[in-house]
Amino acid sequence: MAAIEVRRLTRRFGEFLAVDDVSFDVQKGEIFGFLGSNGAGKSTTIRMLCGLLRPTSGTAHVGGVDVAADPEGVKRRIGYMSQRFSLYELLTVDQNIAFFGGIYGLDRGRLARRREFVLDMAGLRGREQTLARDLSGGWRQRLALGCAVLHEPPILFLDEPTGGVDPLSRRQFWRLIDELSAAGVTVLVTTHYLDEAERCHRVALIHAGRLATIGRVAEVKQIFADRPILEIRTERAVEAMQALESVAGVEKTSLFGTSVHAVLASRAIRPETVRETLAARGIPVASVETVPPSLEDVFLDVVERG
Amino acid sequence: MRMLLAVARKELRQIVRDRRTVLIQAFVPAFFLVVFGYALSFDIRHIALAVEDRDGTPQSRALVSAFVNSGYFDFAAAVRGPRWQDRLLDTNEARAVLVIPEGFARTASTGGSAPVQVIVNGDNANTATAVIGYATGILHSAALQFAPGSPMLDARRGEARVPLVMEPRVWYNPELRSALFLVPGLIAYISMLMAVTSTALSIVREKESGTMEQVRMAPVRTVPFLLGKTLPYFCIALLSAGLVFLASMALFDLPMRGSWLTLAGVLSLYLAGALATGLLVSTVADTQQVAFQIALLVSLLPTLMLSGFIFPIASMPAFLQAVTHIVPARYFLVALRAIVLKGSSVLQLLPQIGALAVYALVVLGLASVRLSRERA
Amino acid sequence: MRGARLGVLVWKEFLELRLNPRLFGIVIVAPILQLTLLGYAATTDVRDVPIVVADGDRTRPSRDLVYRFEASRHFTVVATVTTVGEAEAFLEQGRAWLALGIPPGYGRDMARGGSAVVQVAADGTDANSITAALGYANALVAGYARELVASRSASDAAAAGVMDPRIRVWFNPELESRVFMIPGVLALVLLVVTANLAAMAIVREKEVGTLEQLNVTPLRRWELIVGKLLPYGVIGMIDVLLVTAVAVFWFDVPLRGSFPLLFALSLVYVLCTLALGLFVSTISSTQQQAMLTAVFFFLMPMIYLSGFVFPVENMPQPIQWLTYAIPLRYFLVILRGIFLKGVGLEVLWPQATALAAWGAVVFSLAVLRSTKTLK
Repeated sequence: MAAIEVRRLTRRFGEFLAVDDVSFDVQKGEIFGFLGSNGAGKSTTIRMLCGLLRPTSGTAHVGGVDVAADPEGVKRRIGYMSQRFSLYELLTVDQNIAFFGGIYGLDRGRLARRREFVLDMAGLRGREQTLARDLSGGWRQRLALGCAVLHEPPILFLDEPTGGVDPLSRRQFWRLIDELSAAGVTVLVTTHYLDEAERCHRVALIHAGRLATIGRVAEVKQIFADRPILEIRTERAVEAMQALESVAGVEKTSLFGTSVHAVLASRAIRPETVRETLAARGIPVASVETVPPSLEDVFLDVVERG
Repeated sequence: MRMLLAVARKELRQIVRDRRTVLIQAFVPAFFLVVFGYALSFDIRHIALAVEDRDGTPQSRALVSAFVNSGYFDFAAAVRGPRWQDRLLDTNEARAVLVIPEGFARTASTGGSAPVQVIVNGDNANTATAVIGYATGILHSAALQFAPGSPMLDARRGEARVPLVMEPRVWYNPELRSALFLVPGLIAYISMLMAVTSTALSIVREKESGTMEQVRMAPVRTVPFLLGKTLPYFCIALLSAGLVFLASMALFDLPMRGSWLTLAGVLSLYLAGALATGLLVSTVADTQQVAFQIALLVSLLPTLMLSGFIFPIASMPAFLQAVTHIVPARYFLVALRAIVLKGSSVLQLLPQIGALAVYALVVLGLASVRLSRERA
Repeated sequence: MRGARLGVLVWKEFLELRLNPRLFGIVIVAPILQLTLLGYAATTDVRDVPIVVADGDRTRPSRDLVYRFEASRHFTVVATVTTVGEAEAFLEQGRAWLALGIPPGYGRDMARGGSAVVQVAADGTDANSITAALGYANALVAGYARELVASRSASDAAAAGVMDPRIRVWFNPELESRVFMIPGVLALVLLVVTANLAAMAIVREKEVGTLEQLNVTPLRRWELIVGKLLPYGVIGMIDVLLVTAVAVFWFDVPLRGSFPLLFALSLVYVLCTLALGLFVSTISSTQQQAMLTAVFFFLMPMIYLSGFVFPVENMPQPIQWLTYAIPLRYFLVILRGIFLKGVGLEVLWPQATALAAWGAVVFSLAVLRSTKTLK
């Protein structure tokens, strides 16, 4: 049996359909990424899976427990870290650990052992007496993660865990997730940082409450199998985009950071051709090269398809 | 100036998003004014009177009638046994017990002195004072009717024997309607409470949620910033007070003998002071919980107790009278009553207007100083 | 294990409170401060009412009457003028509240054994004080009149003495307002402190997001509620002790009833205020909303309609029905009963029952509303 089984899960808020007929499985030990823009339905889904929100229809089983029938049973088996880190600002690192340990019913011996683990994992040795509010973003994030796994839950739900944190801390955080997954913990993480999502085993893209696409990261990128993506670095990105719109064979263009991504309709068109076309229009180009598709490309593609 | 308006606009947008709060601030005060104006009165009537008539003669019954017919007392119960007095007063079934001794009529007719007891429930001193006053008055006038030789209930004959009578004439409020006294007090109270609570959390909220940084970075000086933040609340408060006045005049016959302009001016000064008080609280507290408690501490009971609304200031001990000087409601009440009931002009109210203005300026100044320090 | 979960939650609440020393100070200091202020402010005794006298007679008897007013502690004679017009100017300018007009010929009428009428004009804007002032003036004049009667003739003296009115005041012989108000302050202070603190504390966790975190844990709903409310209950009971001590030892308010009973019933009342706080937290999403709701829909009406200052029996019937829903009303009766009258449960059982019932109902409502899983 899969760690998480979701069948036709739906949630309505009055007229508004937040989650629409979503189904998927997550296997034990997987890092499953739940991607989508804000308001797409990610948080709502996760909250239903955690037993915080009752589904309007459909079923979900987390750790073998039906979320609608026994939400409290679900809560015993999971760890949860929310968007806002949910630590007690006025308590110290140690006190937060002691608090959550107590809430999950850890006895003294086990709490002591887990405390050691969390302090090491989060790199908070020597900072046990620091108030949570005095920790900077990255440390708090790791502490919150630590408090969520104190009771060694087999399943972990992370809802936008890396919001507003610097890239270095984010990378460190994901390393921790990898370690947990290697130890057999199932991790379901929602994020809108698509570059992070590359580190997941499988991803699901949610758009307007519906499951748009699901599969291993490599599989999901297959939609670009016959459509190469060119990255054009130029000073005049906007003009380049406009120029390319009218070039035959270019399906669409988008801004990627300071460069332009152009999705080509087929493998037939060659990068050099595009470069020449742009040069002919008087747009200087630093480089044009084929790049492997990223999840962001996939996401934009999916969203555009509607 | 433009900065001020920009700040005000942003604040207004934030306020409007929380619809429930705005509705409460605008309409609830008028609602409660109506409820309280209808419910409350200082008049002491329908005093529950228990009677122990040990004489049972026409004269004793006449005395009981004198009490009941006075319009102040209602017959509550007849005392039938030794423990009844205790029970009636303990359970508040009776506020007073009239005890007429055996042999009352006989003693009176032979020129003796019959001890008539009135036992008064003293737990509410205010009521008790009134009860004593009424009872004494009734007994005094009854005494002269029961004199030997004078027929009972001959009121006119009784009065002619009284050498000195006081005739009261009451100005501005001839029936001494307590509504005319109460309503201005309620207006002052409700307005103060609403204004203080609306601004008390405004700055602390930023402190707690961390948006204080934005406040610090804002390219606007502290005073215009504070004024801009307060402006929307001022408008809401003014609207709310307007509704309150409308309700008072429509439902409670509150007269308006003075100038509307003066009233608006005085009201604005008062509201400004109240809003500034809330702001000051907001700069002093570090969490919303604390701000709330301080705001209540400063406005809930002091405005009720120390403004002259219920307890006369002149009767308070000296140190407390000094404290009332910093209760803006004190000045506002005097001014409000004067404008509404007496038609007083600005000149006549200069002391009150001056005091309100000084209060508002000082408090606003203090709030600015504190906020500047935070921003520095 | 269950006890441990609850214990941890309570421990965290206290920790957070301790780290917020200003709040701690406020909840201890504020009640004492308010008690002190109100204890001294609460007086219905009207004193030193400014009165201006227009003595149109200027004879010995008229000066006698004026002297009576001067000697009374209720009045201060600010000026003696001759004409009524001058006296009325004082009223208009607010320099006097009462104007006594003694007509010319007063002395002559008194000497002849006849009767006279004196006029008193009053500024009715402060109806409450003026009613009392007029009452005192009336009593003063009536008393003076009786003396005159007694000094005139034997039969008149007998007439004046036919009745010997004896007024006895139970429970509060000195008629001290504060004795009535201070127990009321205890009730009010408890309401303000415990209900608001509890409401704000819960809503703050909602706002910050930690409430959601708690909802995800195996923490039971009742454990969550008890854990959040317990510290404020403790604070409330500490306030009971503090305020009672100040009332009894500083203000000499008598405590004639049983203190254990007072403590027990205060506990019931505190549970009611906590229930109210919990309920307010379930209908508010921000602390600002919680505050406004608590103040305007609960605190303010409770202050005015519970019998704290304005007696319930003076209110119109429909409003009196409404006041049955106010827990403060019952607790005030209980407090005044225990402090002033020294009665016990045999008299107060209706109020105690009502209080307990109110608490149970509101608590259930609030608990039903505060689910861990949203529907």
